[in-house]
Amino acid sequence: MMSNLTRDLIQLKALVLKEYREAFRDKRALMVALMMAILAPIGIMMISKIMIEKLVDEPPVYVKFSGAEYAPQLIKHFADNNLLAFVDVPADEKSTWQQRSITLNIPANYAADMAAGKPIQLHLQADFTDKAVQPPVRRINNALRAFSLSIGYKRLLLRGVDIRLLNPLELVEQDTAKPDATFMLISMMLGLYLMLAAFMSGLSVAIDSSAGERERNVLEMLLCQPVSTLKIVLAKLISASTISVIGVLLILLLTSVSVGFVDLTKIGATFSLDLSTAAILLLLLLPICFFASACQLFVAFQTKSFKEAQSTVGMLIGIPAFIPFVISMMDDRPQWLNWLPIAGQSMIIEKIFKGVELDWLAVFTTSSVTIVITVALILALAKKLKSEKVVMALS
Amino acid sequence: MIEVNNLHKSFIDKKNKKNTVKALDGLSFTANDGEITGILGPNGAGKTTCLRTLYGLLCADEGFATIDGISVTEKPLAARAKLGIFPDKFGLYERLTAYEQIDYFASLHGMSGQVKKQAIEQVIQDLDLGELAHRKTVGFSQGQRMKITLAQALVHQPQNFVLDEPTRGLDVMSTRILRNHLAKFKAKGHCILFSSHVMQEVAALCDRVIIVANGKLAAQGTPQELCELAGESNLEEAFVKLIGSDEGVAA
Repeated sequence: MMSNLTRDLIQLKALVLKEYREAFRDKRALMVALMMAILAPIGIMMISKIMIEKLVDEPPVYVKFSGAEYAPQLIKHFADNNLLAFVDVPADEKSTWQQRSITLNIPANYAADMAAGKPIQLHLQADFTDKAVQPPVRRINNALRAFSLSIGYKRLLLRGVDIRLLNPLELVEQDTAKPDATFMLISMMLGLYLMLAAFMSGLSVAIDSSAGERERNVLEMLLCQPVSTLKIVLAKLISASTISVIGVLLILLLTSVSVGFVDLTKIGATFSLDLSTAAILLLLLLPICFFASACQLFVAFQTKSFKEAQSTVGMLIGIPAFIPFVISMMDDRPQWLNWLPIAGQSMIIEKIFKGVELDWLAVFTTSSVTIVITVALILALAKKLKSEKVVMALS
Repeated sequence: MIEVNNLHKSFIDKKNKKNTVKALDGLSFTANDGEITGILGPNGAGKTTCLRTLYGLLCADEGFATIDGISVTEKPLAARAKLGIFPDKFGLYERLTAYEQIDYFASLHGMSGQVKKQAIEQVIQDLDLGELAHRKTVGFSQGQRMKITLAQALVHQPQNFVLDEPTRGLDVMSTRILRNHLAKFKAKGHCILFSSHVMQEVAALCDRVIIVANGKLAAQGTPQELCELAGESNLEEAFVKLIGSDEGVAA
């Protein structure tokens, strides 16, 4: 007679092997998991690039000057501010600037009026409601005002007037935002994305191995075998969460590689997704992967069809996106939030990216609570699978 | 040996008590080792409910079922280990090959190593599955699917074997293979419980026939005895007569 333990191991091994075979041969489910992973670094790179451009560069603006020959000094001042003449526009940007059609008219009597000290009217023509035109217009405005003021100051100076009389009040702005505040946003998004990936990647495998099997009439045969329902559920959990762990791993790997291609130093950020940070993130997300798969299996096993399972479990996806969002809005975070699954992890991830010292006790508590809930879900599901209700729903 | 004793089972509709279905109403029978027992009954007679109770999927309100003396409600896993099942509704894991599926079920019955390998080879040879064995089961015909399901049920050489309409969709050759197989099992002293709607098959194959109607035993005996009981010359006529009478001719 073979010992019970050997038998248990043979059964569990067969169950897990079968789930893995089915999962890894399901191209569609794997695609979902991998898509999340591949999209992440691309998205982060794109967002970083756009932000860097917006923040750092003053991109060249091409203005249609008419009468530029009357005011060479002004044109030079514009050029110093990267406000260039339309004739110099590069071919690939020509149509955009042609469409924006920002025109500045300099009158022919500019030089004469300037010499005579008369006010000169320059006409700026553009579609001011066009969002894309507003920043260039603002810059032209600023540049012109600065130029005008500098001439005005010189005139007063020549007449022996202290120009400080013109500015009795002065507002000194002190920007307290850290140089990498924008970068914080990017890393926050990465945190959210990782959480989402932990939930999403194993999703189709979880649905397929529960509601899908029921619909394909293989569940009844399985439930008639001399295997405990706990082993069945465990095997399915292991398979689904393996896929989500792979998804999370890929994201971490690809992101840490891809951020190397973006020059984040321009916005004063040094992205440090080094090995130890990645390892801590993985450690935090592992219980989440199991928790997510357990939730999905729990819900999917109780639905009547594959379709119902898809829509119901689809709603679960909202949780990892919603909870961190709500938490980031909260000013007074109650203590118990630290312990909840997802909420706890997302706060720790936030702190990791902020560079705050890691609170290992918090990591331990939130992980333990997550694992305890996962175990409870699995036990409840194993019990449910023994009930007649599930059997009755078979056909 | 499979024993079913005084099984009662009702499905209660919680919203409307009038819709309560009494699926089993004191069903008792015994299927002996070394015999093929046929279970006959019109649709909705309670056959599937009875078999599901036997698998330990449903829990009877009253009465008990045992497999080789093991109660299915008290020790469902031990009872199922003695059982090979060909279910009413069956599906295949379409992303696995036939061999992998049979291997899977063999492992679920605790087989491993060389013993398992030999058992799989044997069942593949017995059911003439050699050509199909290493193909994925997606796209298999109905008959091929049934054969794979049979192989899954037989691979661990169960002492008791329950088949729910196993011959539907099988071609003549496969039906013969199955019959020969069942006869061999019978000769080796296994207990076979067999449900079918094909009367000729039941008449040809079964040593004893149990007729179930309205969740009760309507009649039982050899096909010959049932014909005599009903005063008909063939089993089909006898069956119609036996289930048609409200009180049943004998119990």
